[in-house]
Amino acid sequence: MGLLRRWVARQFTTRVIVLMPVGIAINIVLGSTVQQALKLPIYLDSIGTILVGVLAGPLAGALTGILANLIWGYLLPAPIGTSTIGPFAITAGVIGLLAGFWGQLGLFRPRRAGGASIAAAAIAAILVGALALYTYARAYASPEAFVNITGFQATDFDRSRIFFLAIMVLYVALVGTALYLRRDVGAVFAIGAGLVTGIVAAVVSAPIASIVFGGVTGSGTDALVAAFRSGGDSIYQATLKQGLLSDPLDKMITSFVVFFILGSLSRRFVARFPNGEKALGHEAETDTVQTAKG
Amino acid sequence: MAIELSAVRYRYAGASKTALGSVDLSVEPGRVLGIVGANESGKSTLCLVAGGLAPRAIGGRLEGSVRIDGADTAAMRSHELAQRCGLLFQNAAAQLSGTTGTVYEEVAFGPCNLGLAVADVIERVWWALGTVGVEDLAPRDPARLSGGQAQLVALASVLALRPRYLILDEPTSELDPAGTALVADALARVARETGAGILLVEHKTDVLARIADDVAVLADGSVALAGPAAEVLADPRLAGFGVEPPARVRLEREVRASGLEWSAALAEAIE
Amino acid sequence: MSQASVAAGRGLPEYVTRRPGGFYRSVNPSTKLAIAALEVVAAFAVPGWPVPIAILAVVVATAVAARRLRGLVVVALAASPIIGSILLVNLFLLPGASDPIVRLGPLAPTWSGLWFGLQTVLRLFAFSAAITLVYLTTAIDDLLADLARRGLGRRAVFVVGAAVQMVPRTVERAAEIVDAQRARGLDTEGRFWRRARGVLPLAAPVVFGALTEVEERTMALEARAFSAPGRQTRLRVPVDGAMDRALRWAAIVALVAVVGLRIVGKLG
Repeated sequence: MGLLRRWVARQFTTRVIVLMPVGIAINIVLGSTVQQALKLPIYLDSIGTILVGVLAGPLAGALTGILANLIWGYLLPAPIGTSTIGPFAITAGVIGLLAGFWGQLGLFRPRRAGGASIAAAAIAAILVGALALYTYARAYASPEAFVNITGFQATDFDRSRIFFLAIMVLYVALVGTALYLRRDVGAVFAIGAGLVTGIVAAVVSAPIASIVFGGVTGSGTDALVAAFRSGGDSIYQATLKQGLLSDPLDKMITSFVVFFILGSLSRRFVARFPNGEKALGHEAETDTVQTAKG
Repeated sequence: MAIELSAVRYRYAGASKTALGSVDLSVEPGRVLGIVGANESGKSTLCLVAGGLAPRAIGGRLEGSVRIDGADTAAMRSHELAQRCGLLFQNAAAQLSGTTGTVYEEVAFGPCNLGLAVADVIERVWWALGTVGVEDLAPRDPARLSGGQAQLVALASVLALRPRYLILDEPTSELDPAGTALVADALARVARETGAGILLVEHKTDVLARIADDVAVLADGSVALAGPAAEVLADPRLAGFGVEPPARVRLEREVRASGLEWSAALAEAIE
Repeated sequence: MSQASVAAGRGLPEYVTRRPGGFYRSVNPSTKLAIAALEVVAAFAVPGWPVPIAILAVVVATAVAARRLRGLVVVALAASPIIGSILLVNLFLLPGASDPIVRLGPLAPTWSGLWFGLQTVLRLFAFSAAITLVYLTTAIDDLLADLARRGLGRRAVFVVGAAVQMVPRTVERAAEIVDAQRARGLDTEGRFWRRARGVLPLAAPVVFGALTEVEERTMALEARAFSAPGRQTRLRVPVDGAMDRALRWAAIVALVAVVGLRIVGKLG
């Protein structure tokens, strides 16, 4: 019991308490202002959650996500506040929790390209790919779909393969961009973690969306949900399929952004957080003279 | 009864060079000790070490001892430290809690954290506001204050904990001349009325000329010069340490250099 | 000295105690939360039409009496895209529906779809309205103060309070960053791929800007004894009268009852 209490207390130092509102604000601002400016079909509202999770741990990350959704949905006035965000606080909590574990595993650490790290990256990529393949094959080849769309078996399998391939292509593209920008093999792990997080997020969100909102959330992806439903899927099935298309993409991009940002923060800043050491690589210190104002 | 730094050496985490190398200093109650020096000379580090935040909150290695009224800062918990020694930094906005709607509640934040009775909190808030001279700001929104006002409120917030010592790291650097004058006057009043010992790091030597009793010059992490303020600030070696002397001193030098007489009346005229 | 004791004798100034007035606004915040929780759970746990309609009616009536109807309308309007989606999708695509209203070529809107869609919309309205009403009639400071009195720790109070104050400032800064990047040539109107490249140039500065003051804020909090043990003194304590307590307990009991009946299956 004491161990648990210490694990909890360790994650909520004063510095983390100061970081959490910043993470919450980042979530909300990127999810509203920047999202509106770019009008992309991704949410960008988990960047703060994942950042806090990686730096401070699973509990802090989970709470940041949950509180961000609740505050965004229920404590802020209209143009920013949206009432559909609230129920997805559970998903946000899970995302933060996962980010904390990825952080503790050092998956967001920069890694110089070298024999061992490339091999590890290859293994990680294969594992992630296998998980995605399994998920997509299961989700899109559902028994209900078979029953309702007899004769569509071949198409259904093809569809799951297409979606799986699309996600994999995106994964490779993002990793490629990250490598180009940062020459850092750690991108494979970070973006892979994003892919897994996205899959989990989709699975967690589907029941919420279907129970509370009947499967639609007012965003552009509702057309997709409609398409799946016209194919005979139940609300839950349709929401899950839509989620598995948009969430992994969204979380891969989000993790990419967080990985990039972590790499750009000063070592000193990162090191003072509970999980900070695990988010830092082992490169030699380049700056020798340090000031408090740095 | 003082803040005593003895043979203090400090190195930041992961740094190869020491930031402070064998510093001996003391801050006496009721006196203002000014610290000047070039950039990177260790002034901010000195504030963190003297205030007990280094290495506690930021890591690094500390040798030597830092004692407040005889007690080792390393052995104190952070809230005990806060009640003995108040810390203020440059950026006033970052020091406000960001959770209060009025200056009154902002200044009450510290005493409330200590769990004091409401009557005690009220007394301390008015006392702190009064000492700094900002009672009329009490109903205002802290987020809408000017730089100088915010810094004064931050000062009052720290004072509300009744520390015996105050450490300020360039509190006026982001302020305009009016704000600088406000803060300088408030500090002088605090030292006079509360008997607090003040360690004031400042670039603006004019401020130190006005309110400091003693001045120490830091260079490369150690004390190069120390003594009464008037002497040190008039010392010709000051410029060599990257510190610009106060206007009064510069003017006096120019006047003497051009062969004219310098008198006390002239000095009075500029002040 | 004398001023301090005079002040102490005066007690807390009015601008600190800030007691809210007005119908429903003066009700204790936790009571309002409990009532909203009951309304939300009932809206989803109890099948059929009457309960969501009743809840919506109660909430709207309360809003009118508290002179906050306009806020509710704003939220309802903001939800119109979702409402539209829900109605359309269910009208045309409810699985297993076989009672078409009319056949329009390949499209066949169904009665079951319409009813299901309307019910979902109604529940959603009831849910949103119940929670929005709390927001419209309660100051965040009061809510946090009341929760703190009931045991919510100072750290949680700080996180929520600081986040709420920080968001508007960060929104302004983000708007500036968007303008600045646009002036530097960032494309926010063009094709998908060009817009996608704008993610990093917009997100990164916003995040960095928000993180700059973390170190100093941390030290400032410690300098104000934030880590002191024990309970924080609360200057503001929202009123909790007998009526507030009674309403709160009634709501909680009803909430538990609804959940229990639903689990046991008595609600149909």
